[in-house]
Amino acid sequence: MGDLRKSLSIGEKLEILADAAKYDVACTSSGVNRKGKSGSLGNSCAAGICHSFASDGRCVSLLKILQSNECVYDCKYCLNRSSNDRIRTTFTPEEVCQLVMEFYRRNYIEGLFLSSGVVKNPTYTMELMYRTLYMLRNQYHFNGYIHVKAIPNAPGELIEQIGYLADRMSINMELPTEDSLKKLAPHKTQNGILKPMEQIQNRIAAYRLTIGKDARMERSASNRYLSGTIFESPRKNIASNIYTPSRANTQLPVSYEKTFTQSGTNPLQSSISLSQPDINSLQHQVTSTKADKYSPVPFVPAGQSTQMIIGATSENDYQLLTTTQRLYQQFDLKRVFYSAYVPLNEDSALPSLDTTPPLLREHRLYQADWLLRYYGFHADDLLSADKPNFNVFLDPKCDWALRHLELFPMEVNKADYADLLKVPGIGIKSAMRIVNSRRSGQLTFDALKKMGIVLKRAKYFITCQGKMMYSIRIQEDFITRQLIGEDYKSSWDVEHPTTYKQLSLFDDMKKGAFQ
Amino acid sequence: MIIYTCEDTLEDMMTCIYDAWASKLGHQNIRLMTEPIGNLELFCEYRHVPVNTQKAESVIRSIQNKISFSAYQCVYRCAMSCETNKLDVIYRFLLLGFTYGAGVMDMLQHPAVMSIFEINRKVTNESHLFREFTRFISMKGNVLTAHIEPKSDILTMLAPHFQDRMPSENWMIIDDNRRTAVVHPKDTDYYLTSLSQEEFHRLSNLEDTADPYVALWKNFFQTIGIKERKNPTCQRNHIPLWYRKHATEFQL
Ligand code: SF4
Repeated sequence: MGDLRKSLSIGEKLEILADAAKYDVACTSSGVNRKGKSGSLGNSCAAGICHSFASDGRCVSLLKILQSNECVYDCKYCLNRSSNDRIRTTFTPEEVCQLVMEFYRRNYIEGLFLSSGVVKNPTYTMELMYRTLYMLRNQYHFNGYIHVKAIPNAPGELIEQIGYLADRMSINMELPTEDSLKKLAPHKTQNGILKPMEQIQNRIAAYRLTIGKDARMERSASNRYLSGTIFESPRKNIASNIYTPSRANTQLPVSYEKTFTQSGTNPLQSSISLSQPDINSLQHQVTSTKADKYSPVPFVPAGQSTQMIIGATSENDYQLLTTTQRLYQQFDLKRVFYSAYVPLNEDSALPSLDTTPPLLREHRLYQADWLLRYYGFHADDLLSADKPNFNVFLDPKCDWALRHLELFPMEVNKADYADLLKVPGIGIKSAMRIVNSRRSGQLTFDALKKMGIVLKRAKYFITCQGKMMYSIRIQEDFITRQLIGEDYKSSWDVEHPTTYKQLSLFDDMKKGAFQ
Repeated sequence: MIIYTCEDTLEDMMTCIYDAWASKLGHQNIRLMTEPIGNLELFCEYRHVPVNTQKAESVIRSIQNKISFSAYQCVYRCAMSCETNKLDVIYRFLLLGFTYGAGVMDMLQHPAVMSIFEINRKVTNESHLFREFTRFISMKGNVLTAHIEPKSDILTMLAPHFQDRMPSENWMIIDDNRRTAVVHPKDTDYYLTSLSQEEFHRLSNLEDTADPYVALWKNFFQTIGIKERKNPTCQRNHIPLWYRKHATEFQL
């Protein structure tokens, strides 16, 4: 194998290491604005820029590669697991730098997404990745976007150093419960994943405070018109999320009480017990950082993300969505991604090889995630222990609205922004347009249509100047049947992607969904 | 009906608006159009307006001062559009804008505002698409060259984006249909220029077809799609076939 490795050309290496990286979902370049500078190559746009769309319709924004596909771990679902017999290869830092620079100059990419198998051990791997990024930033003067994966169990110092070179970091949750991890990723533990995640969170918060920002990441600007979003203090039962030392080693399923405080070496120890970072202790940290450096170096300015595999294990949607919400609340993640399980290995612990990826389920989760982040919904509004899975036939917002018919119909000329958002067919952009434009006159159905409101959904739930669009009875069965008719086609298309049509479930979701 | 016509540049259009306004013929009795005029209509009188820098500047100043800067941006983008009725759309919008001031930007249900926003959205979208899909090839002498064929005249909207991200590279973007180019010599400002037939051909011949990164990129692009999720319709919705003409990864 050693000989083979040497003889691989850069093209062959690229093919192997891109092929091995493609199952990672996130490919966005969003979250940070950075101007270019003379002598350097690159800038960054907070909205993100896609450069192409691959054959599966996913956006190609970053050069998504592994540093190496060697791996000493044996995660059952992964092509690179140590028990698979594959050609293994590793990029040198120079090779990665050259590809990034030359691809960027030609406007193929926005930057680099660097992940890796575990070569020898987590420390060795992270060091190699660190050298790559260091060279890219300091020798090649690359000023574009970098997303880097943290390797589970990597040492804190390396995570920290690499975070000063990257725009976004992520560490994959992979599976929402410790049990599933044990079963499918025997070398990974929740602790080994959550600990770096928290370390990154604390560093981000510290950096943000030094530059005068709030410790927590910005969320959609339109959220300021909402009250009680998931990003504010949890609205109920805060106590259950508070870490108490006596529970240090109790792992509850779908629960992230932080359990790794036993080390006692973390200077931020006192701040991690609450579900929100304790500002005072962070500020303390900040002062010491300031003493060494005059202008603070950004630390992961585009925030942190993670991803979970959908459908490899038995967790239900409620567990996944609750986990998602907690990840946003407790670790201040910028995004949680889902990846429909694609069977690559034959293994008794895995679904069979002929399993089709649960694309509709993945799609419903993304829709729900969107509702959490932009629409003021909570996981508990959408699902419950009694109703733990999404409706196959209806998108989560329609499903919710049908269970709350007492709130409808809503008068679009009067309802406030937060209420408008609850109407199926009205998205964040169109709700804002409604609020802005009705100041200069009453709205009509025709005007609504031109503003991008999806009337075929909204018509059951709104009145315009006191009248509904057609005389429709607000009756659950009837509306459900109508909406299922509307939704049927798009649901079917998601499951049968070769006939996929643009989904218009949320008018503003289209491109944003995967950012 | 009097129809004021002018050439299809920002300055000409602003001058045309100035003259149409000053004519005091009554706004409902006039229309404004850019040349060439497709089908001439009976019972209409066509009046060509020659460009006049002072008049154009005064219109631009008024838009910025009496309405707002964002209204001016909106007008500018609309002026770069390929829609044949764009000039009249701008005129109707300005009529309203000079009455209501900055607030006009919120009057989304008014047909005049709707129309200009519609065109504005198309142009903005298109210029955004070209940020994504413009591809440079490396020519001899280390100059990066891109060819585009946008429907709207978006070069001046595209150039600042690349100027910021590639300040120390030599590059140029050529609009093949309009035969115009933005040229950016490294570490200086870009400029807009029009290309003669000869220059255009000379440039095409200089292109280095042996750029090794073309093959590497195509290979990467083929590899990165997940075959279990293959979805050509979705791909087509995001990157319409029409935009693929100059996109390296879609070339054979
Ligand atoms: S650590 Fe697990 S998921 Fe990552 S490359 Fe190795 S086997 Fe695959």
